Amino acid sequence: MPFNSLSFILFFCCFFLVYWGLYKNFTIQNLAILAGSYLFYAWWDWRFLFLLILNSALTYFLGIRMQTKESERDRNLLLWVGLLQGLGFLFFFKLRGFLPLGISFYTFRTTSYLLDVKRNKIEPVRDWIAFFCYVAFFPCITAGPIDRAGTLVPQLRMQRTFAYDRATDGMRQILWGVFKKIVIADNCAMFTAGIFDGYKNIPASSLTLGALLYAVQIYADFSGYSDIAIGISSTLGFNVTRNFNYPFFARNIVDYWRRWHMSLTSWLTDYVFLPLSIAFRDYGKAGLVGAIIINFVIIGFWHGASWTYVAYGFLNGCCFIPAILRGTMNKRNKLTDERKFSFRALVERIGTFLLVAFLLVVFRADSLSQAFGYWRGMFSSSIFSAPWLPGEPYMLVPLVFILPMFVVEWWQRDKRHALQLERVNGWVFRAAIYLGLIAVILGFSATRNSDFIYFKF
Amino acid sequence: MMDRTGILKKVNAVFVDVLDNGSIMLNDETTAADVPEWDSLNHIQLVVAVEKKFGIRFTSREIQSWKNVGEMVDSISAKIS
Repeated sequence: MPFNSLSFILFFCCFFLVYWGLYKNFTIQNLAILAGSYLFYAWWDWRFLFLLILNSALTYFLGIRMQTKESERDRNLLLWVGLLQGLGFLFFFKLRGFLPLGISFYTFRTTSYLLDVKRNKIEPVRDWIAFFCYVAFFPCITAGPIDRAGTLVPQLRMQRTFAYDRATDGMRQILWGVFKKIVIADNCAMFTAGIFDGYKNIPASSLTLGALLYAVQIYADFSGYSDIAIGISSTLGFNVTRNFNYPFFARNIVDYWRRWHMSLTSWLTDYVFLPLSIAFRDYGKAGLVGAIIINFVIIGFWHGASWTYVAYGFLNGCCFIPAILRGTMNKRNKLTDERKFSFRALVERIGTFLLVAFLLVVFRADSLSQAFGYWRGMFSSSIFSAPWLPGEPYMLVPLVFILPMFVVEWWQRDKRHALQLERVNGWVFRAAIYLGLIAVILGFSATRNSDFIYFKF
Repeated sequence: MMDRTGILKKVNAVFVDVLDNGSIMLNDETTAADVPEWDSLNHIQLVVAVEKKFGIRFTSREIQSWKNVGEMVDSISAKIS
């Protein structure tokens, strides 16, 4: 039941009415969320629902036990039991190349919860309904964002009251996400699939165009998904953590990774990079480089047990080395807060985008040999030939919306999502924008729907 | 012997220097969420700079247990007195 399916729309409309129609007591609201989340999960794949419940129950129990134990040894033991169970299953399924829905995402929720309780960053949750909701929260279970217990559980322990402004803001964010997913991402997908499959026999210009389109595709796909997930949560009265902060406007790769899939990268920097960097701190810059490379290899591996993902992580980690050596990794705001136009900033942004698109080739490729073949093919004299694209010419039409998407996002880059249109005066203009967008979605959605890319991770 | 205010002042100077932001004003309750440039990616560089400034060394557990700047100052104060 993906978000862009009719069954989800029906499910959500019913859920929305029941949820807000119920007596305004947070436990009853949470029971509705829990029932809805398990129904949502079972509808998709009932076979692994027990794993989700098992993981929630064990983590809940371990968290409470951890607080009652005095000795560090017992607390460590409880932590390890939890980590082995959660990460053990995750590892097992990643190696088998078959993943129960959402397991990568909910395992990271429960793992960070145990680590936070162990380090006394948060109190263990003693309301099992709220805790089970935190793990299974249906808007975010299939592909994130990965909220920490410290931010989501307090919201589950409060009564939600319907706020018109928040609900409509959520719906606008959903609208923008749907546009990015089914107009931009799905239309790009029809070309990138053909280019990556036939990479051996097509000119360098097509390969380069294919790599650029894939970068646009994966951004529109995953940030579109995230906008929908966050928007749905807003309509239910929740503030879910942000996942993208306009990553293609970053001026260097360090900045890019602070803006791309933020809930995963911040998770790994908190729970992997930080402890590693503490352990390696006597080795100065070499220690930082080592910690960042390990961190990024794990980010890559998280996507699946394949050398392409490992290589993708490793290469991205290597891109941090210049910033670490120059000592600029910690200097961030000077780079991103400029409001006025600068030619240098534009060149840096384009350079960062090209680098990201280049690296994403190995992420998209089915094997390392395909990635190397693709890269080799990009550097040949045929770069100056007219690009050939698979498919019919009319299929190119929806690609004209890529530029407006980025223009709108650039204009709105200080907002949490692109359709927060306070700057547009007059409801008539705003209504025209929403209706125009709906018309574009109806008129130019791809003829072939594809799954959200991150459902398979 | 240095009092807490003196320690906080020195820590503040380290933050300003490492994060390259002159407007940082730390107090005991400040957390990473209050300083935009302060995140897990550069936390260790702050810690190492603080260690150097005071000529002390923290344990890994200490570093990960701080909830705010005040707790970091407590750790420093315990080590230099």
